[in-house]
Formats: sequence, C-alpha cells, structure tokens
Amino acid sequence: MRLSHAFIERNAIVLLVLALLTVAIGGIVEIVPLFTIETTVEHVNGVRPYSPLELRGRDIYIREGCYLCHSQMIRTLRDDVARYGHYSLAAESMYDHPFQWGSKRIGPDLARVGGKYSDAWMYAHLEHPRRLVPESLMPDFAFLAHTPLETRDLLARMRTNIEVGVPYTKADLAQAAADLRAQDDPSADHSGLEKRYHGAHVVPGNGHPTELDALVAYLQVLGTMVDFKDVTPAQERQ
Amino acid sequence: MDFETGDIVVGLMVAALGLLGLFLAARAWDDEMYLFGLALAGFAVLFDFGVVRRHFDRKDAALAARRAGHE
Amino acid sequence: MSEHVLPARPVVYNDAVVKKFVIACLVWAIVAFLAGVYIASELAWPQLNIAPYLNFGRLRPVHTSAAIFAFGGSALIGTSFYVVQRTCRARLWGGEALANFVFWGYQIFIVLAASSYLLGFSKSREYAEPEWHLDLLLVLVWVCYLLIYLGTLMRRAEPHIYVANWFYLGFIITIAMLVIVNNLGIPISPYSAKSYSWFSGVQDAMVQWWYGHNAVGFFLTVPFLGMMYYFIPKAANRPIYSYRLSIVHFWALIFIYIWAGPHHLLWTALPDWTQTLGMAFSIMLWMPSWGGMINGLMTLSGAWDKLRTDPGLRFSVTAVGFYGMSTFEGPAMSIRSVNALVHYSDWVIGHVHSGTLGWVAFITFGALYYLVPNLWGRKGLYSVRLAAWHYWIGTLGIVFYIASMWVAGLMEGLMWRAYDRFGFLKYSFVQVVVAEHPFMVLRMIGGVLFTIGAILMIYNLWMTVRSPATEAPRAELLPAGLPAGAVVAGE
Repeated sequence: MRLSHAFIERNAIVLLVLALLTVAIGGIVEIVPLFTIETTVEHVNGVRPYSPLELRGRDIYIREGCYLCHSQMIRTLRDDVARYGHYSLAAESMYDHPFQWGSKRIGPDLARVGGKYSDAWMYAHLEHPRRLVPESLMPDFAFLAHTPLETRDLLARMRTNIEVGVPYTKADLAQAAADLRAQDDPSADHSGLEKRYHGAHVVPGNGHPTELDALVAYLQVLGTMVDFKDVTPAQERQ
Repeated sequence: MDFETGDIVVGLMVAALGLLGLFLAARAWDDEMYLFGLALAGFAVLFDFGVVRRHFDRKDAALAARRAGHE
Repeated sequence: MSEHVLPARPVVYNDAVVKKFVIACLVWAIVAFLAGVYIASELAWPQLNIAPYLNFGRLRPVHTSAAIFAFGGSALIGTSFYVVQRTCRARLWGGEALANFVFWGYQIFIVLAASSYLLGFSKSREYAEPEWHLDLLLVLVWVCYLLIYLGTLMRRAEPHIYVANWFYLGFIITIAMLVIVNNLGIPISPYSAKSYSWFSGVQDAMVQWWYGHNAVGFFLTVPFLGMMYYFIPKAANRPIYSYRLSIVHFWALIFIYIWAGPHHLLWTALPDWTQTLGMAFSIMLWMPSWGGMINGLMTLSGAWDKLRTDPGLRFSVTAVGFYGMSTFEGPAMSIRSVNALVHYSDWVIGHVHSGTLGWVAFITFGALYYLVPNLWGRKGLYSVRLAAWHYWIGTLGIVFYIASMWVAGLMEGLMWRAYDRFGFLKYSFVQVVVAEHPFMVLRMIGGVLFTIGAILMIYNLWMTVRSPATEAPRAELLPAGLPAGAVVAGE
C-alpha cells in the first residue's frame, strides 16, 4: 500500500508510531555516540569519586537548589577563563550523578571555587552572605550550621553511586563512616582519608559534621582534583 | 458495560496505589516519602469513595427515571 | 429527544472532566504567577529569602513546575479532551472513572511535587525536578492519558484525524519518551525519596538538555499549536489557511525540534560535533516554526475585523505573533558567537518568558475565553471590556518583562567580557549584580501586571458562569449543553 498522508491520518496507531520514530532519531544520533566514542571523556589524572563528606555536601548543594544560580562549567571563552580559571574538562564531572553545569549565573561560576577562599570566609559567607558582600543576592544558609548531618543512609548513598558507575571500593565503603568523621576533625588522623580521597579538604569541625561542614567540604574540592601541570594537550582538546 | 468495567479497573488500581502508599509511609526513611505515602493513601480513599458515590448516583437517577416513566 | 433534534450527533461528550481541568488551570495560573512574582522579588530584594522553605533555590522549581506543568499541563489536557471529542465526534474512551483519575492523579502529582521541592527533594534537573517516586506516579497518569486519547481517536466517527490531534498526540507520546529517559536513576532505597541519576557529567548534561529543550518543544510548543489549530479557526469561523502546510510543518517541526538540545551546552565540555549539530538544527528549526505561525495568522484572512470584537481571538492572534518572535529569537541565540554573549545571562530568561507569557499563556487565555461560555452553556462573556483590559494589562506586563530582561542580559554579557586597557577584566561579578538591580525591579513589575490581568480574567470567567446576564435562552441549548450551530472545525 502506498503510504500517503491520507492513510496516516486515518490510522491513529500508524500516526502514533511514525511520530515516535520521527522524534526518536535526533536523540539517538546525539546521545548514543556520547557513550560509545571514547574521546568524549578523556580520562585525566586526579579525578576521583567524592569523599563521603563531600558526597553528602553535594547532596545538600542539590537540595538547596544552588545549581539554579551557580554554574559549574567554565566555557572555552577568554573572559570565562580569565574570571574563573582553566576551562572545565569533561572528566571533571564524570562522577557527577547528576551533573551540575547549571544554566544561569545569578551568582558566579563555582567550577573552581575550591581553595579560592578560606574556610572561615566560606562559613561566614554561607551563613550570612550580605555581612561579607553587601550587594549579594544569596539567601542566608545559617540554618545549615545548626542542622546535624544525616549519616544513617550514607552507605546506601555510596552503594547507589556504585550502581550508577562510581568506582567506590570495598575499603571505601568499610571506612566511609570513619572518613566522614575524620574529614570533619582537624585533629584526627587523616592518612586513610588522604589515601582514599587524594586532596580531600579537612573542614574545621568536631567530628560530628553539620550540613554546613559537608557543604564547605564539597565546595572546597570543586575544581581542585586535576593538576593542570599534568594535563596533555590531547586531554584538553575534548 | 463500558462504564462499569472502567470504574472497577480504575477503582482497583487506585486502591492498590493507596495500599502501596500505606506501605511506603510505614517504612519511610525520610519525611518526603512518609508524606507521599500518606497522601497516596488519602487520595485513594477519597477517589474510590467518589467512584462508589457516582455509581449509586447513576443507579438512583436510573431508578427515578423509571419511576417517572411509570406514572 | 436528542435523536430527532440532532440526527448526526448522538454523542454526549464528557465535558465534566474538561470543566475540571479549566478550573484547575485558572487556579494554577494564579499560583504560578504569584510564585514567579515572589522569586522575581527575591532577586531584587534578597531579604525575602525566608530560610529554608522560601529560599530561591527551593521556590524556583515551584514556579517553573506550576507554570509549565500545572497551568500549562491542565490547559493542555483539558483542551485536548475537549478538542478530541468534538473533532472525532466520540465520547472519551475509557469511561468516567479513568478520565477522573487522569484529572485527580495529575493534580495530586503537582501538589506533591511542589511540596517536595519545598521539603528539599529535587533531582536538580531543570523542569524535571520531581524525585523518582513522583516520576513513577506521573508516568502512570500519563499512560492513562495516552490510552484515553488514543482510544477516543480510534472510536472516532470522522474518517480523518483532525490536524489539532496530530499535535496533541505527538506531544503525549514524545513527553512520555523524554520523561522516561531523562529521569532514569536509582533510588538509594525503595523507601527513600532520594535518587542518583543513571547518567553523569557530559552524558547527563546532554540527556537533560535533550529533555529540557524539548520540554519547551513538545510541552510548550507542539500541543499549543494543536490548541491554535482548533480554537483560532473556531473563533474566526474560517478554515485553516493551508492543509498542506500543516502536514509539512508538523513533521518537520517534530523531527527537527528534538535535535536542538545541545544549544544549551555551547562552548562547554560537550564534544564539538554535538554542539555543531545542535546549533545547525536550532537554526533550521526557524522554518517549521514560522510555518506554524503563517498557518495560524493566515487563517484569519478575511476575518481580521473579528479582532476588534472578539478579545479571545485577539489573545490567540497576539500569541501567534509572540510565537513567531520567540522562534526567531531562539535560533539567533543558538548561533555560537551570539550564545557566547547571552548564555548564562538574563536574556535567556527574557526569551523563555516571551515564549511562555506571550505564546503559551496568551493562546491559553484565548482558548479559555472561548471555552468557558461554551462549556457552561452561556451566550457570551460577562464583560468584553474587562477582557480587553486584561489584554492590554497583560501585554504591557510582557513588554516590561522581556524588555527589562533583554537589556539586563545584554548588559550582563557585555560587562562579564569587558576588559580594561591593561587587558584585565573590568568588572567584578558583584558589580554586574548591582547594575542589574533596576531591571530586576522592572521585571517584577511586569510580572505583577501580568498577574493582575490574569485575576481580571478569572473574575470575568467566574461571572460568566455565575451571572444571570449571560444565560442563553433555553431554546438555543441542546441537551448536551452545546449551543446550537456549533460546528466542528474541519468538518
């Protein structure tokens, strides 16, 4: 039978199936190769899964909708690089489930905010932004400092990350609670934490982290995992 | 009858949702899942009550129409 | 009785569910617009962030979801049920209970989604924020919606499926595909509302903006074109300008729209080939978009005088104008060099709102002004003058909104990339924030005006239903509550 449009518009099922096929093509062509072409994400030394405290901080970042005002994607543009640092590599968000690239800069980009400010500034600014930056539009997050971090479901969160592809090891899981406390306590022994999570930033807590401690630990690691002295031009081209 | 079958299928589906809601609320790890479960259960009760009410409204209307026809 | 009055129309339509969706649409309009005004005010006066529940980060998804899915979605499902019954001359398939489940299931999904954002549960995927348990509820409701729609199409008494239904059907099936793929993830426990996305980084960004752009394409464009294809010919009492154009632009539009997602990720770590494809298809999208605009506008040829007397039609036609403007602006913004300037800036927000306020909301208002008197069996609107006031106040609100965002966006883009004579960046980030303040206030005023217009409409429609002045003489009414002489478009 000749496939005339009159035939299509007399058969609801044919119309439905053809419409679905038509809309499926674009997505298949654009999305599937991103999983199969190896150069999509060039692996770079230094990128590691988030430490337990950073992971929980990231959950809080998502919960409070920080991504709605702050991007985490430095584009390959001169002014972006001048303002925020080396442009973002695909590998730097390879363990981000979900990604946090953002879409609007009501506040500045945070892709490389890690280490840019002291812990003291971070805590004070997150609690009452306008005491440090009077013109800021950021909400106060003082309540995070009074809320103890929920840690009962920590292992469930890490295991789910394993299921979606983050390479946490058995040792990471076994030491998760200890690593979480150690990263919140400057006087603790950090050798295990440093071995498992290179460059993890210890925040000035007391071993019983608040939500704010976790958030600062996360913010302070952003953009610091890759040492750009080690990166080859091929890796940068991605 | 078309209407009756639809009522029964949808009514049972929503009842199953309500039971699922109670189950989720009982085992919830967080406030959101607790509220979600309770809301689902409450929704199921109200919705199925509405299905039953409409069913009897229709029956009453049919009965009244038949009586009016006899007079 | 109906048998001999209406030999060709023995069908009694299910208008009860359409009425419910119309009422829900009006309620959600106010919620969405007020939430928008509030978050707009937060960007002018940050003290309004009342932690934690009314912080911008938690309230913004309430605004977007209420506007797109609650207001827009209720308008779409309601009008699609109205249109499909009349153009198929068939009652909704599946019975009353199924239609009611789609209504109440959709409403409870919206209420629970909004409350979950305030409680701090969000997947952080824009326009797909609800967590996994709510997504599953939505999928269940959506499958029922598809079944009703398809079932009604299949029991139609008309040989052809009317063009508006192609658009509604394309919307239903594509949204199903997009929602299911974009929301793939694993909950940390069946009893926890927290989940992690199946995808990460680059791939996740691509999947999300494939979804995100097509939430615009297939939620805010395609089905509203379906609305246009029914209500403009009805209100103007003219046939569609070109049937052939509607075929060509339907298939071209749904094919090309899907590819445009990567224009949200230009200059990022997304591979260049994907960025280029996205940009190219975004520019090509201009043509089928304008095909729809031309078909809508030209349908009025010979009936332009009706714009003076029918405020509903005036809304619809202005909406098509805004649609044409936004779909020209969008491809322009997708060009790499333009995008380098405007991305991350308020221009994007202005662009979105010229589409949502100008196109989506206005075409919905036009349909509502037509629908409410028809559904409730009234001979006309309570007040045509009030509708005219709504039109002008609403239009003024849009102009305030998009003009202020346009200027603010350009200013942001230019200040962010300004260098001094030594080659250093000229402005710190916070200097740009300060410079934007007046435009944030102007934008908020635009939103207030738009909301006032919507309140006038709700009062007008309420009085249309309640006031004895609009009652039609009994003789003109048919048993099903339809005014005499109602002709199905396309018949």
